[in-house]
Amino acid sequence: MRKPSISIGLSIFIATLGIVAVILLLTSLVFRAVFSQTLDDVVESQSREINKQIVMNFEGYINSVIETANYIQFASFDLDAEVDAATLTELYQTNADMKKDVVAVFLFDDSGRPVIGPTLDFSLGDSVVELPWFLLARDLKEIFHFSAAGESSIAGDRDEGVISVSKSIEYTRNGLVADGVLLIELNDGSITDLASKTNLGDGGHLLILDDQDSLLYSSESAPGTMSAASYPLARSLYLGGMRAEIERVDMYLYVNTLLHTRWRIVTVSNVDEINGAVHRLSGILMAIFVAAVAVSAAVAGIISLRVSRPVTQLRKVMRRIEEGDFSVPVVVAGQKEIVLLAHSFSSMVQKIQELMARLVAEQREKRKTELRALQNQINPHFLYNTLDSIVWLAENQRTNDVITTVVALARLFRISISKGENFIPVQDEIAHVKNYLTIQTIRYQGKFTYELELEPGMADMKVMKLILQPLVENAIQHGVGDDDGHIAIRGMIEGDGMVFRVSNTGYGIPGSKIAEMYETMRGGAEHPSVGMRNVYQRLKLYYGEQSDITISSVQDESTTMTIFIPLDNREGRQP
Amino acid sequence: MTTSRALSSALLVAASIASLSLGACDREEPAVGLFLYNEADPYIREFAKQIMEESGNTFTPVQYDAGNSQLIQNEQLESMLSKHPALMMINPVDRLSSHSIVRKLQAEGIPGIFFNREPLSADLALWEKTYYVGARAEQSGQLQAQLVMQLFGGHPKNLNDYDRNGDGRIQAIILKGEQGHQDAEIRTREVLRSFEAAGFMMEVLALEIANWNRDEAYAKMGNLLRDYQLQVELVVSNNDAMALGAISMMRQAGMFQDTNQNGRIDRADDLWIPVVGIDGLQEAEKSIAEGYLYGTVKNDSLSMAKAIVELSGIVLGRIDPATAQYPLEDGTYIWIDYRPFVSEE
Repeated sequence: MRKPSISIGLSIFIATLGIVAVILLLTSLVFRAVFSQTLDDVVESQSREINKQIVMNFEGYINSVIETANYIQFASFDLDAEVDAATLTELYQTNADMKKDVVAVFLFDDSGRPVIGPTLDFSLGDSVVELPWFLLARDLKEIFHFSAAGESSIAGDRDEGVISVSKSIEYTRNGLVADGVLLIELNDGSITDLASKTNLGDGGHLLILDDQDSLLYSSESAPGTMSAASYPLARSLYLGGMRAEIERVDMYLYVNTLLHTRWRIVTVSNVDEINGAVHRLSGILMAIFVAAVAVSAAVAGIISLRVSRPVTQLRKVMRRIEEGDFSVPVVVAGQKEIVLLAHSFSSMVQKIQELMARLVAEQREKRKTELRALQNQINPHFLYNTLDSIVWLAENQRTNDVITTVVALARLFRISISKGENFIPVQDEIAHVKNYLTIQTIRYQGKFTYELELEPGMADMKVMKLILQPLVENAIQHGVGDDDGHIAIRGMIEGDGMVFRVSNTGYGIPGSKIAEMYETMRGGAEHPSVGMRNVYQRLKLYYGEQSDITISSVQDESTTMTIFIPLDNREGRQP
Repeated sequence: MTTSRALSSALLVAASIASLSLGACDREEPAVGLFLYNEADPYIREFAKQIMEESGNTFTPVQYDAGNSQLIQNEQLESMLSKHPALMMINPVDRLSSHSIVRKLQAEGIPGIFFNREPLSADLALWEKTYYVGARAEQSGQLQAQLVMQLFGGHPKNLNDYDRNGDGRIQAIILKGEQGHQDAEIRTREVLRSFEAAGFMMEVLALEIANWNRDEAYAKMGNLLRDYQLQVELVVSNNDAMALGAISMMRQAGMFQDTNQNGRIDRADDLWIPVVGIDGLQEAEKSIAEGYLYGTVKNDSLSMAKAIVELSGIVLGRIDPATAQYPLEDGTYIWIDYRPFVSEE
């Protein structure tokens, strides 16, 4: 068997609580992970949408610029720059005036000399060949070049910051197709306007990087610490997005390319709200967890008590029954199984009780039977001897003695029978012995004398009948010889018991003989004194081990046999 | 003991949940993305089909349609890149956006094959594992001019009967794709430049922009015929769609007749004037067979698809570069020639 483990109640409690806690914890963790992932996805996709919206705004704007440029380009090819100079100049001017963000429109020939457009800034002379936008346009003819390097307008009468849009085009001059460069200057405020329309959250901002990763524009109002941190991140971001913590604020950077340019637009959105929401959720989950564990602890406690209490009750009852106390009623309330078990146990206990009672009764019956058998054994011996002596008296014509003997025998038998009672008053027992001695005195013709002495208080005490006679019979056998023998019978209370002493004069009995007599009494050999053994065994049977017969002898003087009957058992162990 | 059993079973559940998210990882086939600028463009649709068919036995690209939006394409590229593909085949929406795309590919170490729209060479040079497969736009205009010169007898000083008015100059209407569009500009420029270089005298009656669109060309041709029907000797279109639109309008105006009843439109007739396109659409081929459209210049998408697939095989290490049918030029480019397509008269 394994060593005793924890109780049923405790294991139910721990198991229930453990399962609830583990499941709840797992659920909470999974839920939290899914929630924060979903929230991440939602917020990030929101940021991406904002970015796309911004880029689309810019695209729309750039498309409109390119449309204008294409129109001017087509007109420059269609009209002759020399012949239709006035018309073309007006067309350039109109386009610059019509759109408020267009500062000026120029056409240069491939040597950088102005063909059409407003007067150039004085410092430039009449050639722009060294300017970056011109070099770019000549270098790569097919595309529009956007430069936003913080230049100011090259027009003589304007002095604002511009974005230069340049492209190599073909135009007609004096009927011939010539290569030139078209320049459209845009007010750099247009970008600011487009960028300011969007909400990127607290600290959110927008960066525009060119193909050299230079920062063209930052929407952050003051020369900011935010963009100082976001710019290096944006430099290494070409497509897609990333999460970053900037100035202790959770930000989401997302980048997109800008149509017709090699630029990219990076939006930096504040996504700190995610953390707040996740924290709130964690708090709620924690509260739910604690509440649920508390509730399940209470429920588990109640259940385990309800299960374990009847079991504990049953165990207590069982322990008392183990100790031999069958009187405990087996009453257990609680779960059906336990109650059924208790019922079964109860009927088992009843059965055991019945069996035990029957066993005791059988034992008692057996004892009575034995006792009667032993009592009955006395009669034939004595009857035989007495009848023998009556025959002898009759042969010798001693009529008076025959009468005395027969009367004594009749009394003796009456006491012997005692209406079937096994226990009789001590005085009756003494009377019985007296009758016996009367018979024996006649038989032995005065060869012995006797005396009877009884402590007065004992007369009415009850004693098992026919215990003295066999001892007296024995004393006569051993004590009556040629000389005058004397037999003394005394009854007295000594200590906690009744004592009957039967002593006789004579040679005494040697020690070896006494041992033999003890042996005989205890049920060894049959021989010689059937009566002594009978008394001894009856004493033991009725009065228990305390009762005893002892034999003592003084060589050439006397022999004494003593019966001891414990007082509390003097009426036997049975009612 | 009950507690520990409950705990272990809970752990088991957790473990099985975790194992679900894992697994299903390694596959034999390399992940390859095919990014199209716009599936609504029939040419691109056919091109994509050819690429898919050609690549069929080597790998299966995952196809994305950007719907003509670079923003959408950026997202598609980003989502594919997060799966660490072996190769990206990209038809960019905006050729200049390729700058960022190439840098992203370089940062991720993923090779890329661009096609149909050519990134700037400076951008392709940023990352050695980027390639371009395509045709030279100039060539289409040059071939278109050659077809026309062939028809007019091949000698600039001695034009044949197709010079209807016999003035030694060819009166032409030009249908341009899109103002400012790279291909439209190059095709237009190159066709005119080729005539000039060969000494053919051209008189451009009108240069009309029809945005690559058949219906728009049809509508605009109406006005042009009203002004120039009697003078026009040639219609040059930047693509087949606009050429077919123009023909519809010209037929409506009574041109293109089967005078000799041979079931084919007759060129000798004054009512026939040559219209040339570019692309080689199926419908254009049909029109050529019927005798309406004079000719077209085919953009050889099948060869391009083959070249792309072969190059993919080389990049993926499945084909020995030495056996390549379409060798790389400058380690970056594969140029596929345009092919002139006319019917024999």
